[in-house]
Amino acid sequence: MSTLHADIALTRGEFRLEAAFSVPPGITTVVGVSGAGKSTLLLSLLGDQTPSSGRIALGDRALFDAAKGIDVPVHERRIGIVFQDALLFPHLTARENVAFGLAAGGDANAWLERVGASALPTRRPVDLSGGERQRVALARALAASPEALLLDEPFSALDPAARASLGTLLVALQRESGVPFVHVTHDPGEALRIGERTIALDHGRVVAEGRTSEVLSGSLGRIAAVGSDNWLRGTVLEDGPDGSRVDCGGTVIVTGRLHRPIGDTVVLMLPAEDVLLARGEIHGTSARNILAGRVVSLDEADDAIDVIIATPAKLRARVTRAAVSELALAPGSRVWLLVKANAFRVAG
Amino acid sequence: MIASALLLSLVVASLATALAVALGTAAGWFLARRPFAGRELVDALLSLPLVLPPTVTGYYLLVVLGRKGPLGGLGIPFTLAACVVAATVMAFPLVVRAARVAFEEIDPRQRLAAASLGHGSVSTLWHVELPLARRGLAAGAALGFARALGEFGATLMLAGNIPGRTQTLPLAIYEAAMTGEKPAALALSIALTAVSVIVLLIVGRLGRGRA
Repeated sequence: MSTLHADIALTRGEFRLEAAFSVPPGITTVVGVSGAGKSTLLLSLLGDQTPSSGRIALGDRALFDAAKGIDVPVHERRIGIVFQDALLFPHLTARENVAFGLAAGGDANAWLERVGASALPTRRPVDLSGGERQRVALARALAASPEALLLDEPFSALDPAARASLGTLLVALQRESGVPFVHVTHDPGEALRIGERTIALDHGRVVAEGRTSEVLSGSLGRIAAVGSDNWLRGTVLEDGPDGSRVDCGGTVIVTGRLHRPIGDTVVLMLPAEDVLLARGEIHGTSARNILAGRVVSLDEADDAIDVIIATPAKLRARVTRAAVSELALAPGSRVWLLVKANAFRVAG
Repeated sequence: MIASALLLSLVVASLATALAVALGTAAGWFLARRPFAGRELVDALLSLPLVLPPTVTGYYLLVVLGRKGPLGGLGIPFTLAACVVAATVMAFPLVVRAARVAFEEIDPRQRLAAASLGHGSVSTLWHVELPLARRGLAAGAALGFARALGEFGATLMLAGNIPGRTQTLPLAIYEAAMTGEKPAALALSIALTAVSVIVLLIVGRLGRGRA
C-alpha cells in the first residue's frame, strides 16, 4: 500500500496554504483551528482545488504535478472522502449508496454488515441517524476500494458515545484496508484516540508533524488547535475510591476516580494553568501528583510563558514571566510539577 | 373547430414542452455551474421572451425564419412547425429558470462525492444531478407546458391563424370572440382554464414535495 505525498502551495484571496507532508498507511490526523486550512488541504488532495504549484503523489503515481502539467481528475484519483455531514445521495437507499461506487467483485450488503448497518439496507438517508449515516458513508467510500481515504471531521456532529464507537470502527477499517487515512479533526482527544500520527496546521502551514502524543504534548512548538492544554494518552493501572492511577508513557499520574477497567486506554486533558512548578522537592501538600522533570523549552505565550517539561511524558505548565525569572528556569533546569488529581479531565 | 383547435394545442404544447425541457435543462445546467464571463448576460438574453411582448418575439422569429431570413430555407412559417417553434421559445425561459434553480440547490459536494467514487461528469449528471433535480425539472416542464398551451402573440406572428392547421386554442378563442360566437369562446376559455388549473396543482405539489 502506498504512501500519500504532498508538497503544495495554493492561494485563495488572503489565504495561503503551503504544506509539505507524507501520510503513510495508517491513520494520520490533521488538527488545526477553523481557518487553518484543513478543508482546503483535503480538497487539494481530492482534486477539487488546484494548487498553484507543487506535487501530489500516491506512491509513485503522480496525481498532481504543476511542473509537468499533471492534474488527474477527481474520478480517476482513487481517493475516497467522507464529509462531516456524511452527504449520502438522498435519492438512493443505504445499499444503493454503497453500491454506487462498488469495486468489481464487491458486495454492498457485506459492506453494510461490516460497518454495523446491515439492518438498514432499504432505508433512505433521511431515515437514518447521524451515526448510521456516517457508517454508511464509510462503507460507501471504502467499497470503492480507494487507495487513500480523506475524512473531514466525520464524527464532530455526533454524541460522545457514537463518536467513540465510530472511532473504534475507523481504526479497524483502516487496518483491514491498509491504505492511508487522512482524518481532519479539531478535537485533540479524538486525534489521540484514533491517530498514530498527527499533522498540525496553522495559518495554512504545517507547524508540527509526527507521533500524535509528541505533537500534542507541545514538544514541537505551540499549536493553536491544542491551545494551552496538555493531552495525554495512558493506560489505567488502578481504579478505586481513592482515585485512579494512569501510566502515560512512563509517567504515572494520579487522577480522580475514572471508573474505567484496568488496562483500558484513556485520554486525559490537563490545562497548562493547573500545573504548579517548584525548584525543590516539596512534601506535605494536597497535590496528589508531584512529578520530577527537566525543562525542555520555554514558549512565549500571550501574557505568560509556557514551560515544556519532560517527566518523561512532556507536560506544559503556564507560568508568569516573574515566576520564570524568580525560579531561574531555563532548558535543562530540574523542576518538580504539582498537579491536583482532579485537575485531569477525561477526554476519551 | 373546438376539437381540432384543442387537439392541435395539445400536440403543439407537448412537442414544445419536450423541446424546451431538453434544451432548457442543458442551458440551466450550464448556468448553474461555476460562473463564466457573461453568464448573467446569457441568462438575461435567454429570459427575454418572458418580458418582451410575445408579438415582438414572434416578429424576431419571423425575421430569422421567414422566407428571406437566414433560416428561411427551412420553410417553417405558417406551418405546424411554426406553432411548435413559437411555443418552444416562449416556454424555454420558464424551463431554464426552474432547471437552473434545481441544479443550484444541489450541494456541489454531491458531484465531488460521486467523482471520488469513480464516476465521471456524464455518469454523475445521469445518476446524481438529474435525479436530485427531478422535482424542479418537472415543475419547470409543467409551467412550460401551460405557457406553450396559452401561447398567442408569437404564434400569430410566425404561424398565422389557419383553422385546422395553425389555429391553436387561444387563436380559436380570439376568433370566436371577434366573430360573436360567444358560447364557443366561453367553452374554449373554460377548457383552457381547466388545463391551467391542473398544471398549477401539479406544480404546487412538486414544490411542496421538495421541502
